[in-house]
Amino acid sequence: MKALLARSSLRHLAGHPWLTALSLLGIAMGVAVVVSIDLASGSALRAFEQSTDVVAGKATHQLIGGTSGLPEGVYTALKLRPDAPPAAPVVQGFVQVEGGNQRTLTLLGLDPFAEAPFRDFSTGNAVGDVGSLLTKPGTVVMGAKTARALGVKAGDTLPVMVAGLRKELHVSALLSPAQEATERALESLVISDLSTAQEVLGQQGRLTRVDLSLPGGEAQATSLRATLPPGAELVQTSGRAGTVEQMTRAFRTNLTALSLLALVVGMFLIYNTMTFSVVQRRGMLGRLRAVGVTRGELFGLVLGEALVLGVVGTTAGLLLGILMASGLVGLITRTINDLYFVVNVRRLSLEPFTLIKGLGLGLGATVLAALVPAWEAAHATPVTALRRSTEEDASHRRAPQRALLGLGLLAVSVGLLAWPTQALTPAYAGLFGVMMGTALLVPWVTEKLTLAAARPLGAMFGPLGRMAARGVTASLSRTAVALAALMVAVATTVGVGLMVSSFRGTVVAWLESALQADVFVSPPSLVARRGDSAMVPGLAEKLRATPGVAASGSIRVVHVRVGDVDTDLLAIDFAQGQQRSYRFKQGNAEDIWRQVNASPDVLLVSEPFAFHRKVRAGDTLRVSTDQGPHDFRVAGVYFDYGSDVGTVMMPRATYDRWYADRSVTGLSLYAAPGQDVDELVSRVRDRAGGEQALNVRANKVLRQTSLEVFDRTFTITQVLRLLAIGVAFVGVLSALMSLQLERAREFAVLRATGLTPGQLWGMVSLQTGLLGLLAGLFSIPLGLALAYVLVHVINQRSFGWTLQLVVAPGVVGQAMLLALVAAALAGIYPAWRMARANPAMALREE
Amino acid sequence: MGRGLVIGVVLVLATLGVAVGVVMRDTEEMGPERSGTMTVASALGGGGSLEGYSRAVAPRPFRFPEDHGPHPDFRTEWWYWTGNLETEDGRAFGYQFTVFRSALAPEKPERASAWGTRQIAMAHFTVTDVSAGRFHVTERYSRAALGLAGAEGSPFHVWVQDWDVRSEGTASTWPMHLRAQGDGVTLDLVMDEGKPPVLQGDRGLSKKGPGQGNASYYYSMTRMPSRGTVSVGGQTVSVKGESWMDREWSTSALGPDLVGWDWFALQLSDGSELMNYQLRGKDGTADPFSAGTWVPPTGESQHLTREDVKLEVLATWKSPRGGEYPSRWRVRVPKLSLDLTVTPKLENQELPVSVRYWEGAVSLEGTREGKPVQGRGYVELTGYADVARRPQDETARSRTP
Repeated sequence: MKALLARSSLRHLAGHPWLTALSLLGIAMGVAVVVSIDLASGSALRAFEQSTDVVAGKATHQLIGGTSGLPEGVYTALKLRPDAPPAAPVVQGFVQVEGGNQRTLTLLGLDPFAEAPFRDFSTGNAVGDVGSLLTKPGTVVMGAKTARALGVKAGDTLPVMVAGLRKELHVSALLSPAQEATERALESLVISDLSTAQEVLGQQGRLTRVDLSLPGGEAQATSLRATLPPGAELVQTSGRAGTVEQMTRAFRTNLTALSLLALVVGMFLIYNTMTFSVVQRRGMLGRLRAVGVTRGELFGLVLGEALVLGVVGTTAGLLLGILMASGLVGLITRTINDLYFVVNVRRLSLEPFTLIKGLGLGLGATVLAALVPAWEAAHATPVTALRRSTEEDASHRRAPQRALLGLGLLAVSVGLLAWPTQALTPAYAGLFGVMMGTALLVPWVTEKLTLAAARPLGAMFGPLGRMAARGVTASLSRTAVALAALMVAVATTVGVGLMVSSFRGTVVAWLESALQADVFVSPPSLVARRGDSAMVPGLAEKLRATPGVAASGSIRVVHVRVGDVDTDLLAIDFAQGQQRSYRFKQGNAEDIWRQVNASPDVLLVSEPFAFHRKVRAGDTLRVSTDQGPHDFRVAGVYFDYGSDVGTVMMPRATYDRWYADRSVTGLSLYAAPGQDVDELVSRVRDRAGGEQALNVRANKVLRQTSLEVFDRTFTITQVLRLLAIGVAFVGVLSALMSLQLERAREFAVLRATGLTPGQLWGMVSLQTGLLGLLAGLFSIPLGLALAYVLVHVINQRSFGWTLQLVVAPGVVGQAMLLALVAAALAGIYPAWRMARANPAMALREE
Repeated sequence: MGRGLVIGVVLVLATLGVAVGVVMRDTEEMGPERSGTMTVASALGGGGSLEGYSRAVAPRPFRFPEDHGPHPDFRTEWWYWTGNLETEDGRAFGYQFTVFRSALAPEKPERASAWGTRQIAMAHFTVTDVSAGRFHVTERYSRAALGLAGAEGSPFHVWVQDWDVRSEGTASTWPMHLRAQGDGVTLDLVMDEGKPPVLQGDRGLSKKGPGQGNASYYYSMTRMPSRGTVSVGGQTVSVKGESWMDREWSTSALGPDLVGWDWFALQLSDGSELMNYQLRGKDGTADPFSAGTWVPPTGESQHLTREDVKLEVLATWKSPRGGEYPSRWRVRVPKLSLDLTVTPKLENQELPVSVRYWEGAVSLEGTREGKPVQGRGYVELTGYADVARRPQDETARSRTP
């Protein structure tokens, strides 16, 4: 009996190859999207962790300074103490390879004499002259692989750019470490003597940090801390590595959630397929019940089929996911580089856990989606199962019940979303609840709408129009499922699309108000949104004095530790007599500025910062300064869409009071009345000369560049949206196609009663078109609701941003188009087949 | 129909599998497995050009205290203190404190960074705790920059981080004050001048090999009364004894066919000292440039050639780390009627540092002109462990006597 059931299952699957293939494709794509996102973002993070691990070495603690690092005297004083712990000085920074692919490399300046307890690049083979590291300025060693990728050999010169200055590195030796992890980390590293690193990075007299090995743990650290000069801070190495994970958590969570949306769409697809196969076989199922097959066996039969589909589809999805991930990893890396930190991901790391997770998700989703159809198959009584009309009757009867259930689910979801918490899980649960609830409403609404549509369609196309409309209602058990799948798929693309366009609109408005000056000057920086390079001394003053400049301001961007977490600090020298372009979340701007100007103990924080750190105006923040940690009062919270981790801001005067650093990261120049801006740009460029490569940009250009960066950071989201659209498309196609194919007999009857192939074609097209239209229409309110949740709940809870929801007609139009095109395409094949088929053949089956 | 589906699915899966294989092979490609070292020793390793450095060619006048200080124009230089110490109740200690200076380039580079330097320093500090049978060793490296390490003549100061030897006052070089700690021991020692400097070789020019300039300038302080404290295992004891200081600087010294040497610095109970080094060739024989010096209790010292000194190995010791060292000797100088048996105070006084060698406290007994004589001293044995490793490496020699 078991074998018989299995064979009947296989026969059924094989008998509908297109349907089976499309549902396999649906599962595969859903799984692939989830797996690829997981792999790609995981690889990026791991690449960063690995390079951090190797660079941080075996240090238990680190000694770090203010914004411009540690004075090297702190290290020598420590080293000359009788009880000096093992300590190694480090100067670290980024250089960009000139020409070619402009790869960014980490320049790691070490003292080889102090290195032994910390890092071990030595387990590899050094080829070439290592001794010159110390004696020849500019000498570096690098991994053999990196060298090969850059096309350099030992003995070659490698030109690099550092904050707009051109420097030459001499590659003296190549390293081929035996350990793979070390080799990986070396892929984005160049190692030099400390002296070379100081010179190349322009950090003479300063160290990035001192690595320490304190086997005595916190007790030893505490006693060491007591002897440190102000401004030097001793921190645990482990604490610092975690901030990277934290920094990108929201970003990664959102990517994962978006990828799960694709899987949900895939689930609907499976549900659709399984429901169909049950509906199609009701005759056979009834016969099986009649010959004594138990309910459990039927339940198992349907689930087993789903499982087979799930296994095949998920396997394909895993493979496809790996392929897609190797493409996506570049995009994610680009985004992380734009937003957070410099990371080089040179390869995908295949984590078994990710693959197992993908397998579990794929199989789980399939089985879950097949539960209801399996239950239905099991609970059909032998008699009624033989009659299709009974099912349709039940379906109509159940429609209002389902609608009520959907309303209930919607209410629960809204409750979840409105629940005043900052946790993301209820928000996502609410989001999915809204989708399910709406899907449950579909049968009832469809019934009402198509009945209403029958009249106008009848008026337009005659009886065929009416037939098309009533056909939808007549086979509600199947059309409703297809429609729901279609709606969810399309709505997802609407929601994500609207979220991105709303975000962009908000950023455009913000840029408009934030960028007030006419010309902006800054050296190129490696992380687009966190420029922290500095202009060479004296250049800023020179450029500010350019004729034609009426007023000028400057900005300094540095990394400081606020409450032990790395944060961007903006020190701003506001232009005289110009309006300050910051808007505050609450409070009177004039009042806030008065406080900020009056006291050197006051600063401002950005909205995401306030959100992540749970800080409000009036709170106190402990910030590391060159004179040791200092408590600042938060005077206000300003709107900022530049950084999702948040920034703090203080006037330059306050910064100069607490930090020794006098560099400038960027200038804002205001043109004198009547001064042509383009002319001013070229004048500033001339004045800057070739001393340092600078970006001199007019307001318009900077605004555009900023938006380009913004768009780039959302590329990955757009790609995800496109993938979801792809899954949706497959869904629509398979749902509608199966719907029409299943009606072969009905069409044959129609043909036999005199319908021409053209008329049949018209009717099928009309019907699929109507379904497409309905799905498109349904998806608009759901898409809007999703967008609202994404913008006001998910984004707010992930990043703390206040965004304006803007309904872009383009996105909505796109969704309608997607639904209609997919529907039209879906109608072509069945209509063509039916039109060609011999009605007698189709009818002879009985 | 069904077969078509199965074939199609299998085909798609196979294609995907192959594609993944291709992608992953591309990214997982491993570099060739190799082993080797990029150690400080190799960075220290000279092997470079000798051009631009001063050479020890002819005898030169020695001037003190200036010559206690550094001679940066020569490629290598060392300050070598060894000594045997005892507590009131007879607990014996030996110690070695060495600072090597090594130049990586003949000219001081023009550098914006204070870390840019051509001079680097290596230091070894050992204490032999005879009664406990323990040998404590610490090695240190540093660049001679930013005050982390260096040497100054007047007032005298040689240091590597917090290890240092400096003049107690500013007026005179003497007494010198030595302070070092590591591997659980601390040594704090004050040394007087004792006997005047002894110029080794030909008026301080010590020829080590054939050819012009293959020589070093070499003088010794052979008997410096020393007193201070040794702290070991949390216990500090007062000690007294005698130290020996060797000072040598050169640019190139040893010939290419040498594998190592045996060096003896012996202080006899009759007030005389014997220094002797035997350079060993690849075939194990004594090189013709082996030499020594006899320092009588008072008066002129006497140069000894290879033929003057008969060295006979009585026992050997196998290092657990590999290699076999001579461990007991009969040293005879017929023309001085000197016949001594030299025995290590501890067999294992091997330094497992970047270049392995043996340097340890020894005791001696025998006869001089028929009268019994005792004494103590230090012996250095190089080239017995990992002989094959980097024979061209200058630091591998650690020091040439």
